[in-house]
Amino acid sequence: MAPTVRSNPLRDPRDRRLPRLPDASALVVFGATGDLARKKLIPAVYDLFDRGLLPPGFVLLGFARRDWSDAEFVEFARESAEKGARTPFREEVWDRLAGSIRFLQGSFDDDAAFDRLASTLEDLERTHGIGGNAAFYLSIPPSAFPVVLKQMQRTNLASAQEAGGWRRVVIEKPFGHDLVSARELNALVDDVFTPSGVYRIDHYLGKETVQNLFALRFANNLFEPIWNSQFVDSVQITMAEDVGIGTRAGFYDETGAARDVLQNHLLQLLALTAMEEPVSFGAETIRTEKLKVLRAVSLPTDLARYAVRGQYEQGWLAGERVPGYLDEKDIPPDSRTETFAAVRLGIETRRWAGVPFYLRTGKRLPRRVTEIAIVFKKAPHLPFDQTDTAELGNNQLVIRVQPDEGVTMKFGSKVPGSAMEVRDVAMDFLFGEAFTEALPEAYERLILDVLLGDATLFPNNAEVEESWRIVDPLEEYWANTTPHRYRAGSWGPAAADEMLAADGRRWRRP
Amino acid sequence: MTTLWDTTGSEVVKALSAERRAAGALAFGLALTLVVVVDEKHVSEAEGAATLAASAHPCRLLIVVRRQIESPHPRLDAEVSIGGRLGPGEAVVMRMSGRLALHAESVVLPLLAPDAPVVTWWHDEPPTRIAYDPLGVFADRRVTDVTATPDPLSALFQRAADFAPGDTDLSWTRLTPWRTLLAAAFDTVSDQPDSAVITTGRANPSAQLFAGWLQNKLDIPVTVEEIGTRPDITKVTVSLGGSELAIARTDSRTAKISRSGYPDRVLPLPSRGVGELLAEELRRLDDDEVFGEALGTWSGLPHLGARSPHREHIWRDPMDKSVTVASTVPPSGSAPQAGATSSAGSTPPVGLSGSTARSDRPAAAPTGPGSAATDTSKAGGA
Repeated sequence: MAPTVRSNPLRDPRDRRLPRLPDASALVVFGATGDLARKKLIPAVYDLFDRGLLPPGFVLLGFARRDWSDAEFVEFARESAEKGARTPFREEVWDRLAGSIRFLQGSFDDDAAFDRLASTLEDLERTHGIGGNAAFYLSIPPSAFPVVLKQMQRTNLASAQEAGGWRRVVIEKPFGHDLVSARELNALVDDVFTPSGVYRIDHYLGKETVQNLFALRFANNLFEPIWNSQFVDSVQITMAEDVGIGTRAGFYDETGAARDVLQNHLLQLLALTAMEEPVSFGAETIRTEKLKVLRAVSLPTDLARYAVRGQYEQGWLAGERVPGYLDEKDIPPDSRTETFAAVRLGIETRRWAGVPFYLRTGKRLPRRVTEIAIVFKKAPHLPFDQTDTAELGNNQLVIRVQPDEGVTMKFGSKVPGSAMEVRDVAMDFLFGEAFTEALPEAYERLILDVLLGDATLFPNNAEVEESWRIVDPLEEYWANTTPHRYRAGSWGPAAADEMLAADGRRWRRP
Repeated sequence: MTTLWDTTGSEVVKALSAERRAAGALAFGLALTLVVVVDEKHVSEAEGAATLAASAHPCRLLIVVRRQIESPHPRLDAEVSIGGRLGPGEAVVMRMSGRLALHAESVVLPLLAPDAPVVTWWHDEPPTRIAYDPLGVFADRRVTDVTATPDPLSALFQRAADFAPGDTDLSWTRLTPWRTLLAAAFDTVSDQPDSAVITTGRANPSAQLFAGWLQNKLDIPVTVEEIGTRPDITKVTVSLGGSELAIARTDSRTAKISRSGYPDRVLPLPSRGVGELLAEELRRLDDDEVFGEALGTWSGLPHLGARSPHREHIWRDPMDKSVTVASTVPPSGSAPQAGATSSAGSTPPVGLSGSTARSDRPAAAPTGPGSAATDTSKAGGA
């Protein structure tokens, strides 16, 4: 049976009250007892169910090594939904969802376990009417990908034809650790599944503000005409975290800030900011434009000045004393892994030639904030006395991705009084103030999109590989250097400030 | 919060801008103005609902209470607040008495957020014709609730007769969870449906709109069975040439979907409060064409969607008894469109009925749309 071809007479594109519901399907989570499942996936499934956005035939199937029964997994899921769900937790809602939760015990090299998984999915077709549709969420370390994918290939789990529905796979970053390993991984998943069945999660793209960037740029006539090198002086993209490395010492020390954040989140935000207008709002057309921008990204020649990395030392943050990176548990005392990275990139297109894109990310910075700041050129001529405009800076348009989702515009305004004095003022648009509670979590949106088969918000294999092409030379250069030190609770090493000062600019304080 | 006793419209405007300055909210993300028309005895209910809706959709909230129209002294009392008990946005509660109550727009117009859409919601019985109420005339969207009237079905027919694109009724909003479930269940149905039965309590306008919608979309006879005392819809059954698809409410939050040959499923079917209904209305500010079609099919009045979305205010003085008597007569039958349906034979029969007695008759009974509608209104009142 092919997926339903006959159109549903009750669905009407003009009927915006009815939400899109996915096909009946199973969501299979590998590593279902892990942190991501507990903190994000299960709460998101609960929220989707509570909002009535899951289809009548939906099953959440957990797969993990622990020797648990269905009941034990349901109890685990219940606790995580209770803690992590955004919508109020209600017993009666949970009871209904609990009836659609199953657990399978097995290790990834256990043939019998995967045979059981295949037969369970067939059973679910009968008992829950999932229609042969399944999405496999690989919430497991990348080192386990090959063996799990091979198992799925062996048992025909990945074959949509065999199942008579659709089969999709969801993978989380890191998508490899350099271009070569990313290519290997892509070849493997795209081979087991089809390239269009692979969903790479970058949870930043699930955020409302990031999607609003499309609306801001392409639904308005106000911004696009000035969105180019003629008016834009520079672009700063910042993703700052106040937390340290937490319990991820082993992973983080091998990875570092550039691979962990710059390669995916920051480059995706850069692509969305700089891309040309897509010919339509579809997954393929948007990916095409993003890929074009990533291909046009150029690295600075003077890496010593324009590619800065740092490592935090002990300091004070939010009123608490925090240890330095080298003193964190399980970090080797001679580690040269960076916790801060800042880089100047260029985009070699007519639109962006000569406009520097400054990207920075770091841990133990003063506050948690992600924003894209478009800094405009100063007016070519000011018909005022120089003293009148002493306090006038560059106009700015800032897209605040998190927290306080919204847009700020900074421009000059006259200070009231008899003298002509112009000073910067900020105009704020807040997505939510007390309204934030209504904004869905990124994972809710992304899981729903996977089940709906909408790949608009997921980067594809070519984008991932192109991002590694940008990051690999930086890593190569950094391999023989020692990161600059910065105090925890400061905005990064002095070298990052000097990098902008050399261009006659300075970082915006987010 | 500023409270103004026996004041003027200009004073209210001044108080609002003073509150804005004090709150530091000089550039507020105002998407719309919500005008709430409510009677004194339901003010706190309406305030609660509007506050909930306003917290989901930033808006300026203007609550208008008209009272003691017969009072010889016109008077305005107002309460202005930002980020207070009425939610995070700006809110003004106005009590108007005496002749001023008939000219509420003179106070409200200068308070509308500049160039933003206006939604007017009547918490209680809506005006017989929206055009009688100036607060409805300038609104881009008008939200009524026929369940607040003593005779909801004839009130619903009156909504159809008086319909203009941009009107919606909360009895339609209440139906969204039902329509969502049925549409989802239909995603996997490939059989041709041939008839449907909706089971409901007495005189439920939502059930009638459900019937109108199903009939419009599926082109099949739909019967409304009135059973039990609870006013809600309890079940919908669609027969699919031999097999059957049924959705039945099991409790206040859930429903069971059963289909021949498939396992039963239990899914959320929340019954929502007025605040949530209103929030759904504020989500979209263009006209709801699907509602217009469902209402048109149910009432038998054709081309509702093709009417002009604009209304002219019709002056009507409730103190003037001669006018009052004249205008309460034409609620249903004599509406201009009702009489003008000459193509009765070609339109699919309106197989819905307002009463248990009618449901015994074959659903496809060739009842002319006009007369069906008239019957319905009578049945509702019976």
